[in-house]
Amino acid sequence: MKNIHTLGERSLVGMLILMVGAPMVISVYYNIFPPAGAFLSGFLQAAMIYLPIAIAEYFTFVPILGPGGSYLAFVTGNLTNLKIPAAVVAMDQAGVKSGTEEGAVIAQISVAISSMVTIGVVFVGMLMVLPLQPLLSSPVLAPAFDNILPALFGALGAHFFSQHRKLAVVPLLSTVILAALVIYVLKLNFSSIQGVLIPILGVISVVSALYFYRIGWIKKEDIE
Amino acid sequence: MDTLALANSWIVYLVCAVVVLYVFFLCILYLRQGLRRAKELGISQDAIRSTIRSSAGFSIAPSIPIILALMAMMGVLGIPFPWMRLSIIGSFQYELMTANIGASAMGVTQLGSAHMTPQVLANSFWVMTLGIPWGMLLSIFTMRRFASGLDQARKKDATKLTLIITALYFGMLSVFVGPPLVQGGLPLYTLLVSAATFLVLNALAKRSRIGWLSDYVFTFSMLGGMVFSVLISL
Repeated sequence: MKNIHTLGERSLVGMLILMVGAPMVISVYYNIFPPAGAFLSGFLQAAMIYLPIAIAEYFTFVPILGPGGSYLAFVTGNLTNLKIPAAVVAMDQAGVKSGTEEGAVIAQISVAISSMVTIGVVFVGMLMVLPLQPLLSSPVLAPAFDNILPALFGALGAHFFSQHRKLAVVPLLSTVILAALVIYVLKLNFSSIQGVLIPILGVISVVSALYFYRIGWIKKEDIE
Repeated sequence: MDTLALANSWIVYLVCAVVVLYVFFLCILYLRQGLRRAKELGISQDAIRSTIRSSAGFSIAPSIPIILALMAMMGVLGIPFPWMRLSIIGSFQYELMTANIGASAMGVTQLGSAHMTPQVLANSFWVMTLGIPWGMLLSIFTMRRFASGLDQARKKDATKLTLIITALYFGMLSVFVGPPLVQGGLPLYTLLVSAATFLVLNALAKRSRIGWLSDYVFTFSMLGGMVFSVLISL
């Protein structure tokens, strides 16, 4: 299949069928269909939370990954903690830009490799879940897994923010204000609303970047 | 039949394995298509190898918490279904939340309580499945137009498009940098150690010209931050 959109559309339709097929087969085999009312109420609750987030994520992530990487990433998930960082780092190493055809191809290869590694690691974890449990859930290792996002985004931030300092000013200031607001004023669990904050900070960051570009504070060579 | 025994029965393993195998097969298809396009575009073999090494190394550590999520869910939802869900779209937070929504919609307020019947389990499975196909549906129906719109934008003003994409990415990075900065404590120290490790290793990789080191700078920096968080908590 030469065209990435043909591959993308067909593979996603196949995925949707299989994905829905899984609970369908289980329900038919054991004859355990949930009552329609209970299902609808659960479905609407989940959709109300995730539909708006998904739309905003779609418009944030597709420009970064390009079509090929996006199709696959929407099947394999874990975009913010795995696929996007892996792809952006790969594009940076290869010296290609997001939004170009070369960038999209590197991102596609990166998302494929990253997904295979995750599927492999989770598969091994599933097979060895009992022997691994005492090790992985030991209190000694707990801080490492609790702090995996700071460890990941510390390195990413150090690299990309220092590469384009002027672009980093407004999003960094905004996130500090928003995080303080969420944690200390609204007293919400930050991770529960991360999905909402990604598009909000994305819009703030883009609007400010375009403004700085127009007034000439950010120049072409700042982005290259 | 006991609810958990049902959740761990062979048929559930079978259907879940089919889905995961399909997704793995898709990864191979996309990889092959990507490698072919890379050749056509004249991207060097070195760049490809570096992409593969850095993406593979980078993905190991952040995948381990997914096993922890599986451990958290298997007592209630069995092993195979959470394994399948966690191997594909969604995330730990999503899966646990929708499983809960599915159960509470049937009047079971706590997952895993004695009221967990096969029907409640089925409702959780269905809500987990149908609550999140949106990214895929949007891709199927709008990706062609969206991608060609982005191509048009690049032809019109490539600098502006790069600026917008970089700014979008910076917005996402900031979301995760904000909380450690505000909360302080161990998350902040981990963030700083990982950032400092990166700056040192990156300078080292550039100076020493050890090709493979630059492919793993992010992986080592992330691990550095994680190791630090363990040592400081001892």
